[in-house]
Amino acid sequence: MLLPMFDFHEPFSIQEALELKKTHKENSKFLAGGTDLLVHLKKKLISTDNIISLSKVKDLARITKEENSVIIGACATMSQLSSSPIIQENFKALKAGCDNLGNHLIRNRATIGGNACNASPAGETLPALLVYDALAILENTEGKKEIPIKDFFTGPGKSCIHTEEILTGFRLPIPPANSGAHYIQLGKRKSSEINVVNVAAFLEYDPSTLKITKTRIALGSVAPTPVRAPKAEASLLGQTPEEEAFFAAGEIARRDDCLPIDDFRGTAGYRQAMVGVLTKRTLATAFEQAQGLL
Amino acid sequence: MKKIINLTINDQSHEIAVEPNITLADLIRYQLGLTGTKKGCDTGDCGACTVVLDGEVVNSCLVLAVQANGSVIETIEGLATDEGLHPLQEAFVEKGAIQCGFCSPGVILSAKNLLDKNPSPSEQEIREGISGNLCRCTGYKKIFDAIESQSS
Amino acid sequence: MKEFDIISSRAHRVDTPDKATGQAVYTDDISRPGMLYGALLQSPHPHAKIISIDTSEARKLPGVKSVITSKEAGTIKYGVSPARYDENVFAVDKVRYIGDEIAAVAAVSLEIALKAVELIQVEYELLPAVFTVEDAMKEGAPQLHKDFSGNLCAEVHQEFGDVDAALKESDIIKTSTMKSKRQDGAFIEMQVCIAEFDNRGVLTLVTSTQVPHYVQRTVAMVLGMDVGKVRVKKPYVGAGFGIKAAANPMELACCILARETNKPVKMNFTREQVFMYARARHQFNHTITTGAKKDGTLMAIKHECVLDGGAYTSFGIATVYYTGSLLGGPYKIANMSYDGYRVYNNKPACGAQRGHGAVIARALFEQQVDMIAEEIGMDPMELRIKNMMEAGDTTCNDLNMSSFGMSECIEAVRTGSDWDQKKGNMEPGKGIGMACGFFVSGAGYPIYRSDTYHGTVIVKLTEDGGTALVYTASAEIGQGSDTAFAMIAAEALGIPLENIRLASGDTDMGVDLGAYSSRQTLMTGHATKEAADHAKAQVLEVLADQLNVPVEEMDIKKGFIEFAGDTPDFTALRTRYIKEHRGWTDNPDSEKLTFTEASRIAFLEKGSIVGTGKYKPHDLGGKFKGAAVGTSPAYGCSAQVAEVTVDMETGQVTIDNITDAHDCGKAINMTSVEGQMEGSISMGIGEAMHEEVIFNDKGQVLNNDLAEYKIVTSMDMPQVKAVVVESDEPNGPYGAKEVGEGAIMPTIPAILNAVYNATGVRLNELPLTPERVYHAIQDYKNRVKK
Repeated sequence: MLLPMFDFHEPFSIQEALELKKTHKENSKFLAGGTDLLVHLKKKLISTDNIISLSKVKDLARITKEENSVIIGACATMSQLSSSPIIQENFKALKAGCDNLGNHLIRNRATIGGNACNASPAGETLPALLVYDALAILENTEGKKEIPIKDFFTGPGKSCIHTEEILTGFRLPIPPANSGAHYIQLGKRKSSEINVVNVAAFLEYDPSTLKITKTRIALGSVAPTPVRAPKAEASLLGQTPEEEAFFAAGEIARRDDCLPIDDFRGTAGYRQAMVGVLTKRTLATAFEQAQGLL
Repeated sequence: MKKIINLTINDQSHEIAVEPNITLADLIRYQLGLTGTKKGCDTGDCGACTVVLDGEVVNSCLVLAVQANGSVIETIEGLATDEGLHPLQEAFVEKGAIQCGFCSPGVILSAKNLLDKNPSPSEQEIREGISGNLCRCTGYKKIFDAIESQSS
Repeated sequence: MKEFDIISSRAHRVDTPDKATGQAVYTDDISRPGMLYGALLQSPHPHAKIISIDTSEARKLPGVKSVITSKEAGTIKYGVSPARYDENVFAVDKVRYIGDEIAAVAAVSLEIALKAVELIQVEYELLPAVFTVEDAMKEGAPQLHKDFSGNLCAEVHQEFGDVDAALKESDIIKTSTMKSKRQDGAFIEMQVCIAEFDNRGVLTLVTSTQVPHYVQRTVAMVLGMDVGKVRVKKPYVGAGFGIKAAANPMELACCILARETNKPVKMNFTREQVFMYARARHQFNHTITTGAKKDGTLMAIKHECVLDGGAYTSFGIATVYYTGSLLGGPYKIANMSYDGYRVYNNKPACGAQRGHGAVIARALFEQQVDMIAEEIGMDPMELRIKNMMEAGDTTCNDLNMSSFGMSECIEAVRTGSDWDQKKGNMEPGKGIGMACGFFVSGAGYPIYRSDTYHGTVIVKLTEDGGTALVYTASAEIGQGSDTAFAMIAAEALGIPLENIRLASGDTDMGVDLGAYSSRQTLMTGHATKEAADHAKAQVLEVLADQLNVPVEEMDIKKGFIEFAGDTPDFTALRTRYIKEHRGWTDNPDSEKLTFTEASRIAFLEKGSIVGTGKYKPHDLGGKFKGAAVGTSPAYGCSAQVAEVTVDMETGQVTIDNITDAHDCGKAINMTSVEGQMEGSISMGIGEAMHEEVIFNDKGQVLNNDLAEYKIVTSMDMPQVKAVVVESDEPNGPYGAKEVGEGAIMPTIPAILNAVYNATGVRLNELPLTPERVYHAIQDYKNRVKK
């Protein structure tokens, strides 16, 4: 398979990348890991005359710990995130997402920024970003802004990034003590999968009262974008973290928080049913983590 | 427009002019004649084109040749020495881990990279370490055996 | 049993050092000076009349060397079996599926060739299309081929014994259905070929094929050439599994482009085109009724099957026969009827794939055997053993089991899986199941009606003595046939394996029908053994003459001449040999005369020592219509136990263990036999669990890549215990028979029986995706509630 002809640009700084974007506008694509972009170009699903490679842009692949948050560069790869002690320690649901994306070869190239910008409803890292309440860091030649991840996705393959903007990374608040989060995806085989449905859940509880104080649940492949499950989340507040509450939350998530469609990977009915099961299971594991059991 | 790139492949340096839309896999196979790197899909799904790029195994069909400028690359041709086959290659022969052989260069490079980083992988780690290399012939069993035999 | 020096060992394969180092050459690794690149124009419509084709713009594009359509290619029809040639290289009047070939271009680069393809203007008149067997069989449905009304490609009606009477006598009758999905071979090397004419008009086609011989004949027939002017060579091949067992239109187009341009032309399928061309396993829709007595005696099978064939016949006539005929065993069943229908529709054609025709019928029937066992409270293994055929038995449809270690296989998996402890004692959500199966060890007859030898082999000793060259036109496609024949030749000649050099896969080396129907080990193996025996006999005759010892009193073992009586004085021969080898420092000083010395002396006396061998099966099978399909000189057989864990909430099935025993006759290479068993299991698991070619409502493949067409990855493969059960097959070389396909037969039903054991649910549709299993469990729960 041949790639169409294009001009290749290799900026060394974000500023330079943004200048190139300003010049070529819609007729250009940022290239990060290439695991989706190059496939889409080969299959002629997209076309462009300008490829702006980000691999030489300094610092875009960094994972940095700040006081209360961690900055993950957009070009950090799945493998890099999986093996990062910062991620392993603080963001187990994100690590689970990274571990489950594609296979070992894809994980060595695929980046978190790429996963987000593709904005696939099935994106493996996206539910975790949602439940950790990540902020997407966007830059243009004028400056920087940080927007809540739940406002980032606007449709299948669509995000709120403007043509002349670049996603440089994510800010993830470091989760408090007594909290945990988990991610589960369901597919047909155990590697190289594209999800039929995926769920992440975050849970924080007060050990003195043994009540849930905060929770975030995110669902993938059940709506045009990865989505939060507000009704299920609300149902858990003030509840005792136990099987019954998790089951009830799963039922609410399944019934009220998603609107899946049928496609060749699975039917809406099955996806909906699995939202219930996976919500319950991710919450249970998140709670175990919160208790320091995992 | 062609671009001059510099690569080190199997300890040999190359200065080559390439079109920007040429993948690393096509450069290696068709311009440099290192045909041990196979192509089974061209879309990053099979792992037959696996090479080691700056220490990491990647699908070379999903890397632009121009992106690899300045990189150090190892292909299957880089494993054997004057002494003969690399011990891991010997193990693949010994254990019967190769049938049609089309996936083997990729599997062997993934396995070598795994063992380089983790000399005593668990069975699960071996499975994960070649999870992107599809093999339709062997059922993987003898591949696991071969890799296992080289773990310390 | 006889002791062997080479066979039955774990000798390293002859091809794998080169495959491990990347040195092994496959077709796409080859480049020829001045080579052009070809590309195909394929139909974007599932069914359409071609009103006109305008190639003028394409021809004008700089770099384009040839554009061909049916005008240049001609209208000679071809296909797999002369019983039904229904394909043209390029569509003549209409296209019948998305992907049907219309034209081809050769250009100086692939980029230009592809651009030229886009410039070809085709005017179509769209026709209504059908995509399912149900729609295709409806009255008034659009017709694909005018001579085959109702889109019925082929039908088979057979009855052996008296099925209705036997069902009346039965105490238990089970009727159930099974629907599978279309498969893809998913070999990793996509089809690719290079065609080139020399200046004397001889065509050489280098191609990724399983059957150089059939490709040679088809190319010669379609191009109107003598077979002797067409040479087909197969370098190393990245597997085929049945899909590469016939000439494909790209190979034919490539040869025509080479003729038109007088340049070498290379053509490749993309992965998308592999799916578009298809030719893999059909989708089967089976209904089977099985009758049994209370004591477990199987009485009768009533079998109906509709095969979703796609747009052309390909292997389909053989497939629809195989589907019925291979239910005749491995059990003693006197009464069997079969009604099979293969239906055309506007999807890519299906063909042959590992376990040709028989896999899904087996998947359904082996579940019914379990249902019967459950109803009468008998262990499924006991019931199977009770009804099992034995060596020498013949099925009701005249298939003779000349060796048959099926009961031994059952015992092996019973022990190997710890069946007696586990059956009935599995934890909730876990299940165990078993099944049996068997398969031909080579089709009894060639695909075209002929008395031809199925394989010829030449063994030539090198003039210096010591090395034997084996020439065979057989096809090493990954299964290890080169190694098997090298081992057979070494065993027969009595020399070490290192002293064999083997060349294969070239039609210039003889006739060999190729790698399909699990035929090569037995058939080419026979011819190899005969050729080696012939060469050896010539060496020994010269020795007999020189040493004055009767031929019968000599043998060759491990590279030395063995004498039954006293060793004669061979000093003169040794001196003569050493004189011939002045300058070499490794002159023989062994007490025994070496084969090297003997074969050098033989050359000096007689010139080139060339042994020839050939093989064709004896007359096989009954006299009824279709009796030939399913016949074989021998049958391999398998038993398997599968253990599964089912997630009752999500429907996810994990296969934990498979224990497999296969009777391959005498194992030529133990490691290779296990490799075939393990590979078969992985393909069976894929088909059982997640493989399915999915079409949209226009007949277009939706999952045309290896991301969405899901074969087994390293993460999915269960633990496998492979037990080789050896029998002595009287019709096999050294007692050998097949393993490549029989080993896939029990996998799917063993899994289905295990899933039933875990869940109480019988699934009648594949693959067992989490969703399908989930719904089956829910339906079952709802039924139980009511």
